[in-house]
Amino acid sequence: MNIDIRSVSFRYPSGQLALDNVSLSISKGETLALIGENGAGKTTLVKQMNALLRPTNGRVDVGEWDVAEHSTAQMARRVSFLFQNPDDQLFARRVWDEVAFGPRNLSLSEPEIEQRVNRALDRVGLLDKAESHPYDLQYTDRKLIALAATLAMEAPILVLDEPTIGQDARQRERVASILQELAAQHRTILLVSHDLDFCARTAERVVVMAEGRILADGPTEQVLAENEILDQAAVIAPQLMRLSQALKLSPPKLRVDDFVDAYASRKARPT
Amino acid sequence: MQAQSIYIDHPSALHQLNPLTKLTFTLVFLVAAFALPNAVALIATFVLILVPLAASGGLLLPLLRSAFWLVLPFAISLALIQGFFSPGQTALFSLGPFTMTLEGLGSGLTFAARLLLALGGTLLLMLSTRPDKLMLALRQRGLPESLSYIVLTALQIFPRFQERARTILDAQKSRGLETEVGLLRRLALLVPLIAPLVLGSIVEVEERAMALEARAFSYKTIKTSWISLEDSRAQSILRAAILFFGVVLVYLRLTGFWPQ
Amino acid sequence: MIEFRDFSYRYPTAAADSLSSLSLQIPRGQFCAVVGANGAGKSTFCFAASGFIPHFFRGEAHGSVELAGKPLAEAEFGSLAAEVGIVFQNPFNQISGARFTVREEIAFGLENLGVERGEMQTRIQLALEVVDLVDVAERSPFELSGGQQQRVALASMFAMRPQVLVLDEPTSQLDPRGTREVFRAIAALSEAGTTIILAGHKLEWLAEFADRAILLDQGRVIADGDPDTIFAMETMGEVGVGRTQFTDVAAAAQRAGMLKDHAALPVTLAQAEAFFS
Repeated sequence: MNIDIRSVSFRYPSGQLALDNVSLSISKGETLALIGENGAGKTTLVKQMNALLRPTNGRVDVGEWDVAEHSTAQMARRVSFLFQNPDDQLFARRVWDEVAFGPRNLSLSEPEIEQRVNRALDRVGLLDKAESHPYDLQYTDRKLIALAATLAMEAPILVLDEPTIGQDARQRERVASILQELAAQHRTILLVSHDLDFCARTAERVVVMAEGRILADGPTEQVLAENEILDQAAVIAPQLMRLSQALKLSPPKLRVDDFVDAYASRKARPT
Repeated sequence: MQAQSIYIDHPSALHQLNPLTKLTFTLVFLVAAFALPNAVALIATFVLILVPLAASGGLLLPLLRSAFWLVLPFAISLALIQGFFSPGQTALFSLGPFTMTLEGLGSGLTFAARLLLALGGTLLLMLSTRPDKLMLALRQRGLPESLSYIVLTALQIFPRFQERARTILDAQKSRGLETEVGLLRRLALLVPLIAPLVLGSIVEVEERAMALEARAFSYKTIKTSWISLEDSRAQSILRAAILFFGVVLVYLRLTGFWPQ
Repeated sequence: MIEFRDFSYRYPTAAADSLSSLSLQIPRGQFCAVVGANGAGKSTFCFAASGFIPHFFRGEAHGSVELAGKPLAEAEFGSLAAEVGIVFQNPFNQISGARFTVREEIAFGLENLGVERGEMQTRIQLALEVVDLVDVAERSPFELSGGQQQRVALASMFAMRPQVLVLDEPTSQLDPRGTREVFRAIAALSEAGTTIILAGHKLEWLAEFADRAILLDQGRVIADGDPDTIFAMETMGEVGVGRTQFTDVAAAAQRAGMLKDHAALPVTLAQAEAFFS
């Protein structure tokens, strides 16, 4: 299922132009990172994909659905959203019920719901806390509950807004492996994140935004090497990109193993 | 997000007045709104006293606009209800079994005029006075510090509350929550919407309490103030005079000097 | 100087200690980073160093935390704020909401301390300059970006002239620009002589500015020393903190038999560049 955003502009009622003629096509199975500073328009853009916001101009298609003709609740079957702050959505008294809320809204059968919830909780490592009250758990666990709730929708497209904010290395690792698994299932993933080291290792494509426009769009290694554009968008290149550039490693390598391999083969080469 | 208060900054004598002086004005407008006998007296007070005061502070338009939108719906419904249902002899027209009487309509309009004067008086204070200055003035007159803090922050934090409510609604809709449903099913929606608002606010309140402690809120000393309030002998005389006028109004009303 | 003396603490309903048997000293003027996985006790450390434990959080404490030889537990909580400042994660929740401009917001703490107006003026101006907020001094703090709001919180603390400033993940909610602004402002406060205790995950920034690092795991100090050494330790990964990717690639290269085996692993870009060339 492809996403097709065609010349979309969006103006908030306050008059502020948050998206200025943005076009973007995302194919099924892509993992795409949307980067840029706060206020660049990233969240406004992804909200067009499930009708939380509707474009002032332009058109958004998700698969053969024109988003303009669907409600957010309908879009939830195709686009599953993870919001940044879990405390903006957790309401149930049991972790299990919290994760089941979305699937229940989809009117699935009870056994199907049960399967999905257990699968999602298992995936984020919280199956043993299924009976706990979400607010008895740490913030970082609440963040994983919200992720499980998103996974349980089992939608073909996932939008994740800052999934690693406030998480430590272990939890980031877990989120990264979940993303890999989803990518292997050909799900489309849209990652909105300031954590560029995380984006560099999980996304194959990067879109840079600033002031409601797309500044760059392309393969991760290529886009994150564009120092001037990153500067303009006020983001700092991931660590391995900076090291690749400092060592003139070309093409740059953004994963530890790739980097070491490339470095080894360069050293082996007679100069 | 904007700092939320309807205060409008403008270099005028009205703005410069001590908040207590303006508060006194407001109190007497409120008293007058209920003590004056009829629509003519009420409207006259509004036009001859309140309007020039607002104009002197460059606040005439905002005041009239706010007052108009706030009073209009009440004025219309009051005029209709009173007009049709109050006792009266002079029939104007009939609508089915109901008859609109001149007396009823008059009393409805008088009520609306009372509302207009009361609201206008309050708006005058709020438009011309920074809430923190008003609170400081009250604090200097013995209002407990914590109470003035609560009032002030409530003004500023409310929009934040609205913003969170919107985010929560977005989050739940994204999880397939259907909001375009009948009234009964709509009640079932309340839990997923209200619970995060309340639970999240508890977390937020604790953080705010801690941040406040970090700013030495509970430090035991005589607090100083960055902003200063102007006051003068003339202003205290003015306050006394306005208050006296208010007392006279109440007296005239209570003694039945004015007919109902 | 802040000193932990065999200090342990357990939250009211918790089954285990959040900090156990901590003994350490943080000398005046030091910039001390506190790192550890989530749940390792970083926030608890911050609350203990600022007196919020035991004054704000009840629970069970043993041993003591002392500021210049005086136990924080015996100090009057209200007056502690004048000596130890604290900045939290969420910039928005630290705005008092009772003042209308950045300048007045900074004044709020000083009013509570009973500072005279003339003195306030000097302190506020200096604080605005140190955190680089002079340009927005007359704007509402609510209109600012997260990074600017967090700098308002820093300036508000700095103006109160505390000996020690404790920061609990001050940049975790910020974008890269905000993070950079805030770290620079913290460095400026450190330059001005404030003792800094900063709990956080952003090792690259911490390595640049901190004089010392304390690694926590399950409420215990498992390493304490030079940030470059601590951040490069294998243990970092084992306790769920993770290292910078500079360290990770260098370690992987070493494992693969490339490069000098005994060289110290790099933590920052400059060190990594030197390491690989």
